[in-house]
Amino acid sequence: MVCNLEGTCSMSHRSCFLGARMPLEVDLMVKQLKDLDKEIFRKILKAVVNSLEGKDSTESVRSIAETKSLSEEQLSCILAGMYTLLSEALRLPQSSLKQEVFKDDLRDLRIPEEYISDFASVVFGSRRSVLEAAALQKGNRLPSLQDFRWRVDVAISSSSLTRALQPSILMQLKLSDGEAHRFEVPVAKFQELRYNVALILKEMNDLEKRSILKIQD
Amino acid sequence: MATIVKETQSIKQALVLINGIDTGKFPRLLSRILQKLHLKDEHSFNEEEKEKLQAALSLEKQDLHLVLETVSFILEQAAYYNMKPAALQQQLENVHLNQEKSEAFALAWTNMGQDIVEKLRQNTFAPKKLENIGWCLNLEMGQSTQAKMKSPHAILELGVNSEDSENTEKIFVEFNHGELLEFYNKLETIQAQLDSLT
Repeated sequence: MVCNLEGTCSMSHRSCFLGARMPLEVDLMVKQLKDLDKEIFRKILKAVVNSLEGKDSTESVRSIAETKSLSEEQLSCILAGMYTLLSEALRLPQSSLKQEVFKDDLRDLRIPEEYISDFASVVFGSRRSVLEAAALQKGNRLPSLQDFRWRVDVAISSSSLTRALQPSILMQLKLSDGEAHRFEVPVAKFQELRYNVALILKEMNDLEKRSILKIQD
Repeated sequence: MATIVKETQSIKQALVLINGIDTGKFPRLLSRILQKLHLKDEHSFNEEEKEKLQAALSLEKQDLHLVLETVSFILEQAAYYNMKPAALQQQLENVHLNQEKSEAFALAWTNMGQDIVEKLRQNTFAPKKLENIGWCLNLEMGQSTQAKMKSPHAILELGVNSEDSENTEKIFVEFNHGELLEFYNKLETIQAQLDSLT
């Protein structure tokens, strides 16, 4: 309970940003951090940040393992703990988890002060937007449209009609999962598609304006 | 105007047989054939019906076959050249089809001709055709890597049918607001192209 002089009180309901129950790997990591050399900590941190950004970090982890300053078990504990801690912190938008609160939480975990500022600079520093973009990429989605090609044909004549003069549209969609679809769209169906897409856009706009989206947490 | 019916041996034979058909029954035969003319793989009559026709028109199996083939051919040619009914009647009389039958052709063509031409126009062959469009709009509240999101997502379901199979393949594509807007702009470009054609 915190009471200030004007007589209003506030009570902090918040548990740590990691959740009510401490993840096991973070617990194990904290135990390792006390005796860890700062240089090695920084190297491991760099490898974890690289992997969160989506880059491959097997080489850097292997070189750390080869220095033999840590046992394999210790290294795995630290890697797992760091990964969980950082990805949980990055999950929450910056409006929900402020830097000071984050640092306080880490102090409650008894992480050494210098390491706290290193962690904070990852979560709240300049790389934040890159890390957020990488997190969105990893999300589960149905395939999205990667490439869209089309052409409009007019059939002048065919085996059934010497003067057909019928327009039609050929579309090729390449999706993000690698599949390509090529199909013809009769003009009437095309109008239906266009109408429906416009309708969805209108609904999206209405949705974004509604007050439920303006609720800040 | 090209002659649509050349007088080959089998055509002559067929025309003689057609001339012999009961005039009362002929118009119904014509309209039945016209109904299915635009469908590529379907025959106008199944086996049972063909047997009944044989009896009704007093024709042998082979003769009936020849008659049906020839009538279909004449109608397909009329569609191909987009003939006027009067021109059709004239050409048929020129190859010695009797007047009542030629008139029957002209009448059937007047009633159903335009329709047939329109349907044939719509016939295209492409490996697949878009048949259905469905969609749903979701508001994504969170995922395993991001909490407290509020991003609208649309899922478009395109039902695509290929010609030889009856199964409709469903293609699912997901769009966020920006992607959907981009897609819509491309559709507008296509529309502008279509408009410039007319």
